[in-house]
Parts: sequence; C-alpha cells; structure tokens
Amino acid sequence: MVRQVECTGKTTREINQEIRRLIGDGEQEIVVLRPQARHNLGVAVLQPVKLVFEGSVGYYCAGMADGPSVEIRGSAGWGVAEGMMSGTVIIEQNAGNSAAASIRGGTVVVRGSASARAGIAMKGGTLIIQGNCGYMTGFMMQKGTIIVCGDAGEALGDSMYEGRIFVGGSIAEFGNDAVIQELTPEDREFLTSTLTQYGITSARPFQKVVAGRRLWRFDKKEFATWREAL
Amino acid sequence: MCGIVGFLDKGGNRQAPVGQVLLNMLTALGRRGPDSAGVALYGDPGDGLLVLRVKLGQQGLAEVQGAQVTERVKDLASVVKVSLQGEYLCLVVDYQGDATRLESVIEAAGEDIEVVSMGRRLEVVKQVGSPENLELTYGISASVGTHGIGHTRMSTESRVDLSHSQPFWAHGLPDLAVVHNGHITNYHKLRRRYEQRGHHFYTENDSEIIGLYLAEQMTHGASFTAALQSSLRDFDGAFSYLAATADSLGFVKDPFGFKPLVVAETAAYVALATEEIALQTALGGDFPVWEPGVKQVQTWQVER
Repeated sequence: MVRQVECTGKTTREINQEIRRLIGDGEQEIVVLRPQARHNLGVAVLQPVKLVFEGSVGYYCAGMADGPSVEIRGSAGWGVAEGMMSGTVIIEQNAGNSAAASIRGGTVVVRGSASARAGIAMKGGTLIIQGNCGYMTGFMMQKGTIIVCGDAGEALGDSMYEGRIFVGGSIAEFGNDAVIQELTPEDREFLTSTLTQYGITSARPFQKVVAGRRLWRFDKKEFATWREAL
Repeated sequence: MCGIVGFLDKGGNRQAPVGQVLLNMLTALGRRGPDSAGVALYGDPGDGLLVLRVKLGQQGLAEVQGAQVTERVKDLASVVKVSLQGEYLCLVVDYQGDATRLESVIEAAGEDIEVVSMGRRLEVVKQVGSPENLELTYGISASVGTHGIGHTRMSTESRVDLSHSQPFWAHGLPDLAVVHNGHITNYHKLRRRYEQRGHHFYTENDSEIIGLYLAEQMTHGASFTAALQSSLRDFDGAFSYLAATADSLGFVKDPFGFKPLVVAETAAYVALATEEIALQTALGGDFPVWEPGVKQVQTWQVER
C-alpha cells in the first residue's frame, strides 16, 4: 500500500521523521505531498524504499541516500542527492547547482537541464542529464560517469582526476586538463544499456571527455595551466 | 545570504497583485535575511505625476519635518498629495524638472533626510525587520501594479538601518531600482572612482553601487539590457541581482554561479527568486523552474 505524507503545516524535521517512521514500519512506497520546494527533504534514507515527491523540492533533497528509489515530480534546488551512496534519484524537471555533488554510487537522472557544477567531486555512480548542463560540470570529479544528452556549458570537466563524461550535444569549452578520448566498445555498451534503462533514446553520437592527467603531478613547465587551475 | 524576488505581469495589467505576490515570496525567504525587508513597487500613481518617498530624520517630530520638506518641494513643484507613512513622508507632485535638483533641495532640509525613491511608477518601501513586519507597518499586500522587486537582508558588511536595507533606488535616475544578493568585491575601488567624479553615497552597503552604476550607464545612452550586460564586465564578486525600471525587469548572474537565482516564466508572468520555495509559496503551480547559467542576463518588458 502507498502511504502518504502531507507537508503542509509541518516542519521539515517533522516531515523527515514521519518518512523515517513509515520506513521503520516496513512501508515500501511513500508519497510526499506538497513539498513546496522545501529544503532537506528525505535526507539520509538508508533503506530500499520508493519515495515520491509530488512537486518541486528545495536544497539537498535525498542527500546521503543509501538505497532508496526517489522520484521528484518537479524541479530540485541545489545539491540534490549530495553524497549519495546507492539508489536512484530521478528529477522530472530541472536541477539547480551542484546536482549529485560528491556521490559515491547510485544513479541520478535529471530529465530537464542541470545548472552549474553538476557532478562536482563525484566519487562514483552515474549522473544522467537529459537536457543541457551548466558551467563547470564534473569539476574535480574523481570517479564515476556523467552523461549529458544535450549541450555542455563552459569549463566542462575542469581539473577532473578520473571518471568520464559523455556529451551528446556541443561543448562550450573544455575545463583545465579535460580532453577528448575515443569511446571504447564498453563505453558504447554502457551508454546504450544505461540510457535504455531510463527510457532515453538519444540519436546523437556521444563524445567522451576524461582527465588528461597533466595535473596529476606538478610540472613547472606547465605552470600556466596550474595557475589557471588553482 | 539575503533573499531577492521579482515579479512582472507580462500583459501590463496595472492592477496585478504585485504587493501580495512579493510579500508572499519574501515571507517564504524570510529566514535567508532576518535583518530588514523591502519592496520596490511599480504602480500607477497618475499620469505624469512623480512619487517621492522621503525618509525623515530622527531630529524632531515627523510632522514638523514633513511640513518643512513639503514647503521646500512647493518651491519647485506643485504638490498633489502629502501623507506620513511610518518613517516616510510620501509626496505626489507635478514636476517635470531635473530629478537631482529636486532631490538635493529635499535633502538639504536635514542631515539624515533621504529621498528613498523617486519615480513616475516606483515606490520603495523598506525598513528594519521581517517581511511580516513590513506588511504590518505599511500594508504592502494591498499595492497593485505591473511589476516589482523585493529583498530580505542578512547584513554581512554594513550596518542595519532603513537606509542600508534594500531595494536601492538609483539616486538620480527616476524609477530605477535594484535588489542584490552577494558581494561586489571591487566595491571600494569603484566607489573611490565614483566619488572622485562627484557622486554621493548614502550608505556603506556595496549593493548601493549597482544602481549608481546602472544609472550612469543608462544616462549615457545605454539601454537597460546593455547596462546590465556591461555590469558583468565591471563588477567582481559573487552576485545575483535584479533591477527594474518603469517598464522592465531583469536579472544578472555572476561569472561563477556562486549565488542562487531561479526563474519561472508563464504566458502571463515572469517570477524570479533566490529559491524556488518563494515561487511555490506565492504562485504555487505547475510551472517549469530553471536556474540561469553563469554570466546570464535577461530582461522582460511590460506590454503597453
């Protein structure tokens, strides 16, 4: 049975405690009504439940998640799914700055566009942006995959250590040390299976962006790059 | 922190509930800035008439000060309406002359007397305290008009009083007002440059310089949009700001996307706010919300 949590008239803490209590009672599917873009909703959910927000959410929704399957039927503010360990977070509309910041695992899907610094400091997992992404997407990412079906903004993949970024549209500008690499057969397989799983059929061929690894070690011959990166 | 909001009725309906919408948005953002709250409302005071909102000083009774200011204004303009509202003297006058001249005549009446706003459409209402208190003191929810901007302030670098709160009217250019979230880091340098050219600053708030800058650009022939664009080249720091004129509303986002701002646009209106919670609270509905990218500038005009 689907259980409902009404947000109107409650503090954020009360809403989150109610979600937690229902999960403790063994509920498998919880629908949160009228979230009104409030912050910190559904943070630190550590069980594999289905959690649906019937509307937009504010900052840090589903942050620190480990296992849940979250749907946001609206847009999300800054830092959606920040620090997620595992699970799925799907945002039906746009996401604000720093979507999927520092995630270690799981998948975040933004059906619309993402603003600046999506996937910043990612340490694993997958971020899929069906629309366009903003400035400094993948900044300092260390692991994991970002798939941008639309266009990428400036400073893409700036100072990334590791990981990969696939872009279906145009790239406004590469970040420091972000370079193009040929897609491997595994990459193509991964793209097809991952996108199909989330019902995305993108006809455009993807480009792959990875770290050029020039920033891994300090080389005074490349001082200009370092100065720019820092 | 700080919260900024803006609303514009695209159809140009001069009876749009701008005061109520701005108040609801500000209330939702109140925790971002508990120090002060204010709105710049673009209403319809009457054809060609000029509305002045004057902050009266702490030197003596408001009635006496108000009468002194009104007498001074009468030497230059015909006064259509006078009222005392809280800390303000509100004057509606018939005046076609130079705005700066009228302003300096009023401000010569007393040391801390300040023209907080002047315009054919614009009225700035601001004070120390929460948006709820702004409503209690001035009943801003009853104000109608085509558009407006608002601000809740958390002071980080200058004092908390009426003059230092926002919106800022751009002294010298009627109807131009600004709200700002962030910090203009080359403020002191810019300020020195303006002061050398003879500009007077009313506060130590870095946000004040935005209006002054835009007013100077527009006085030298730049369009509203061009003035906003060029500010990206001349301001350093982390900022999202909104500016409005008698018939336009626009935003500017800094080159790094350090400060939030979201936009909701429908066929009927455009609404902007620091956080979506303000849009959902005030306008609640199924509209797409997006966060502008870095270095983005966009303006909207009221249909005439």
